[in-house]
Amino acid sequence: MIDRIELSLPASAELLVLARLTAATVASRAGFDVEEVEDLRLAVDELCISMVEEGAGGRLRIEFVRDAGLIEVSCGHEPEPGGAGSVTGDPTLRDLSARILDALVDEHGRDTRGGQKRAWLRKQRARQEA
Amino acid sequence: MAETFGISEKTGDGVSVVSATGEIDIATAPPLRRQLEASIDRGPAVVVVDLLGVTFMDSTALGVLVGALKRTRAAGGALRIVVSDTRVLKVFEITGLTEVFSIFATVEDAVRG
Repeated sequence: MIDRIELSLPASAELLVLARLTAATVASRAGFDVEEVEDLRLAVDELCISMVEEGAGGRLRIEFVRDAGLIEVSCGHEPEPGGAGSVTGDPTLRDLSARILDALVDEHGRDTRGGQKRAWLRKQRARQEA
Repeated sequence: MAETFGISEKTGDGVSVVSATGEIDIATAPPLRRQLEASIDRGPAVVVVDLLGVTFMDSTALGVLVGALKRTRAAGGALRIVVSDTRVLKVFEITGLTEVFSIFATVEDAVRG
C-alpha cells in the first residue's frame, strides 16, 4: 500500500519544525527504528533548508510517499508571483548539508521542474518485515 | 513537543560559557550566532559552547559553530564544544567535524581543556 502525504507551508524558517514532525511520524508509521526516525527527521530538515532562504518568500510543497519500507520525500519551492523566486545557499552550509544527507539516506538530489527548484531523498528501512 | 530554544552565558576567569538548549535549526541559529559573536568579541581566552541541553541540530547550527571557531582563532582564543547527546554528536561525526572541534563531555572538562 502506498501512503502519500503533502504539506504546503509558507517558506518560513520557523515552520520547518512541521516538516520534521511529519517526517518523524511518517517514518515511525513505516516501522523505522528510533535511529532511522531521527535520521529521516534530520535529513528532511536538511532537504528543506536549501529551499528556505529567509526573505525569499513563496511556499514549500513537501511530499512524503511511503511504499512498504521505502520513504521518498521531495521539497519544492514555489516562488511568490512577482517575487525573486531564486534561492541561493551558502556554499559551506550546502557542503555540510550534502555530507549529512550522504550519511543518512540512500539517495538524494536536486532538480528543476517547471521552473521550480526541488530537492528529494529516498530512505529504505533497514529492518525487513517478518 | 520540541524543547524551547534558549541561550545563556556565564563568564569568569577568562572563560565564557555559552549554553544553548532546545533545537538549533535555520530559525534559531541566527540568535546563537549573534550571542557567540558578542561573546568572542569580548576577548576571552576560551569560549565554551555548551550543547548539553540541545536536542536537535542541523547544518545551519554547524555553520554557526564553524564561523565561531574561525572568529575565535582570529582573536587568538580557543573554542571548545560540549556534547553528550549521541544524536547531536552524530551530526559532528558524519560531517567530519569531530576532527575540527575540540569536543568534551562536560563543561568542567572543557573549561579545564
